Amino acid sequence: MLRRNIRLRREYLYRKSLEGKERLLYEKKRKIREALEEGKPIPTELRNEEATLRQEIDLEDDYTAIPKSHIDDEYANATERDPKILLTTSRDPSAPLVQFVKELKFVFPNAERMNRGNQVISEIIESCRAHDFTDVILVHEHRGVPDGLIISHLPFGPTAYFGLLNVVTRHDIKDKKAIGKMPEAYPHLIHDNFGTKLGERTANILKHLFPVPKPDTKRIVTFANQSDYISFRHHIYEKHGGPKSVELKEIGPRFELRLYQIKLGTMDQSEAQIEWVIRPYMNTTKKRNFIGVDQKDDKRKH
Amino acid sequence: MATSIEAAVESLREIKSKEPPMWLVPKQELSQAVRAASKHLFSSLKPHSPKSPFDQLLIEGFDAEQIWQQIDLQSQPLLYTLRREVKKFEKNPEEISKLKEAIEGGKKKKVVEEKGTDDIDDDDDDDDDLDMDDDDDYDDDEEEEEKKERGREEESEREGEEMELEGEEKGGIEDKFLKIKELQEYLEEDEAKEYGLKKNKKTKTETKKKEEDTEEEEEGEDEEEEEEEDDDNDEAEEEEDELGLFDGDDEDDEDSLENARYEDFFGTKKNKGPKEKAKSRDRFEGDSGSDDEQDFDKRKDGLSTHEEELKKLQSKIEQMEKANLDPKVWTMRGEVTAAQRQKNSALEVDLDFEHNVRPAPVITEEVTASLEDLIKTRISEGLFDDVQKSRSLSSKAPRETKELDDNKSKKGLAEVYEEEFVQKTDPAAAPLSFSDELKKEASMLFKKLCLKLDALSHFHFTPKPVVEDMSIQTNVPALAMEEIAPMAVSDAAMLAPEEVFAGKGDIKEEAELTRSERKRRRANKKRKFKAEAAKRLAKKPRETTQVDSNEGDYSICYSSLHIITLGTNQFLSQTLHTICR
Repeated sequence: MLRRNIRLRREYLYRKSLEGKERLLYEKKRKIREALEEGKPIPTELRNEEATLRQEIDLEDDYTAIPKSHIDDEYANATERDPKILLTTSRDPSAPLVQFVKELKFVFPNAERMNRGNQVISEIIESCRAHDFTDVILVHEHRGVPDGLIISHLPFGPTAYFGLLNVVTRHDIKDKKAIGKMPEAYPHLIHDNFGTKLGERTANILKHLFPVPKPDTKRIVTFANQSDYISFRHHIYEKHGGPKSVELKEIGPRFELRLYQIKLGTMDQSEAQIEWVIRPYMNTTKKRNFIGVDQKDDKRKH
Repeated sequence: MATSIEAAVESLREIKSKEPPMWLVPKQELSQAVRAASKHLFSSLKPHSPKSPFDQLLIEGFDAEQIWQQIDLQSQPLLYTLRREVKKFEKNPEEISKLKEAIEGGKKKKVVEEKGTDDIDDDDDDDDDLDMDDDDDYDDDEEEEEKKERGREEESEREGEEMELEGEEKGGIEDKFLKIKELQEYLEEDEAKEYGLKKNKKTKTETKKKEEDTEEEEEGEDEEEEEEEDDDNDEAEEEEDELGLFDGDDEDDEDSLENARYEDFFGTKKNKGPKEKAKSRDRFEGDSGSDDEQDFDKRKDGLSTHEEELKKLQSKIEQMEKANLDPKVWTMRGEVTAAQRQKNSALEVDLDFEHNVRPAPVITEEVTASLEDLIKTRISEGLFDDVQKSRSLSSKAPRETKELDDNKSKKGLAEVYEEEFVQKTDPAAAPLSFSDELKKEASMLFKKLCLKLDALSHFHFTPKPVVEDMSIQTNVPALAMEEIAPMAVSDAAMLAPEEVFAGKGDIKEEAELTRSERKRRRANKKRKFKAEAAKRLAKKPRETTQVDSNEGDYSICYSSLHIITLGTNQFLSQTLHTICR
């Protein structure tokens, strides 16, 4: 198991290193293809390699035409199986945090909650890999209020670090009847305003926590981005009248996520390469939007 | 005039005789009398007031208010001048005595007038005019009576005496030159006296201020302030005098009470005195010379204004020097860590720095509503960002699954062997054993092509086997059916033997030849070749035909095929076309 992991990791790193060359080749092939389609002469720098590249172009199909990066590799096989999630907390969680984690367990289908005890993170990750988990989610708190969320995709996948704000849990609303039950069908997902590359990446990470739903489920999970703050909402909808009338009922916790780091390894790999980290002391941070495009008519306070 | 004056006097007497409460009740005859009296008074005052617009007081058909206004118009400027005169005479009592003899009656009149006008100012009553008599002929006793009347009111006898004295001196007003000079002197003396006066009055004014109405206090303060601004200190002093007059009255009555109250609240008067003086002194710095003030100052410290100021400045300077020498406050120190400042001292300071991070969004109703709208639109459109199930890429080609047929084989074993044998010998003739339709078709086409190509090249040609299938019978004569043209044409029949081979002697194989014979052959060959080469060089333009003929020469040696002289490619393509049609 250990050796296999080492080998897989090495392969992964090798493929990552090859990406540069592959990208070059892809670019060349693309240029030749364009030239051929438009009827223009092939650019002079490619004349020598034109013949071999042409052959390759002819033999290509949809799958091989697009250059794959290590990022796609991470989620390449994710769609084949349903995701399996492990939920834990930091050490010595308080009662509200435990309640919050319980709620999260119902939000993510196919999720397992585990008491943290005094386990070390590397142990947790190893055992998860052995048991074929796809993701590990860790929740941190500050005096009872959940304030941190770490999502780690398992076979050496990326780790995303989020900060939680404005958390409202189901337990806060004491009345059981008002809240209602929480259905456990696979939900539909809505992503709003994840425009940039980083946004796409984040959306991908969040998307692959959920399995493929049935087309007629009534449960909706929304991740809406507004000026780098992602709002999580969980609703059930009903269509009473015609197709236009939609009634929403909010269930489940609601919180704002704030991404502050993406690492290209799992949680226990502290020396892994950092894909993106927030820069709060940069002078232009205030003006820039990293995850999505700024909307003109935003009603939320800046 | 005399009769009217008498009538006026009569009316005044009448007024005087009535009891004061009677005056409050409006009566026709009383009012008439009063009106007449006032008219006369007005006309008598007219020569002394140059600015008055009326020649005489208009009574008939006029309202009380209107009459009053007329009187007021006349008397206001008059008052002003009279006050000044009074002050002047106050300063110089000798002049009064001088003038007294000179213009007695007129002075009296004026004094009386002044008093009357003062009364008019003070009273806010209705129609009643407390006019005084203005006649030169008026008796002294009447005058005294009038004075007593006033004495009941706020003015004191002392003032009356003063006024009287001053009034007598007012004869010198007409002399402008004197006036100015006196004014100058007066100004200088007045400042000194004023100060002294002020001191006396101050104590009283203080008490007054504390206990009486705010209006009066304000009055006093305003007046003090006015004093600063006024270049003409006369009026100021006059106002002061008024206040003093007020004080004069009340002091006797309430002095003890006032003292008690004042002391209770604000300590002793004496302590306050010097401070007040200091204030006033500060104000009057610009106006008065310091020397005068020093002389009249009766403070306990014995320090002058200048010295006081210096002292203050000194203390300030000391303070500032001390502050400079001390270590700075932590806010002024630059980079300060928590250990270097007091506990919680940063909470008290209003820190201001730019935040480079956008603050967390506040989730309001609007925000929630907008989110829900978005969700609803997505639901109604059915646009979800779900995970898509991607078809897994098959790395291997799909295996050809052989279906095992359980049915009994229709062919016998002999037939199977037969097929195998045929396949080995003549693969073209073997029946097809493919299951795939496409493959069958492809092989059929290929077989046809092969047949035709064989026909082109084979002598010993075997025709295609008869495949039993339904075919259309055409009504063709039997000869046509049976006639089979030779597929290949052999030139051997066409050509004569000499044309086929021309040569003599015994023909030997290569292997049979002896060495000398071989040499001979080679030499002949060489000779021929050389001859040919020479010919070719000579005949270069006629190349094409020559080539063919050369080729033709060679072909005679090895084959008996005679190919018609066209380009070989052309011939092949033509034949193929004809065959394929």
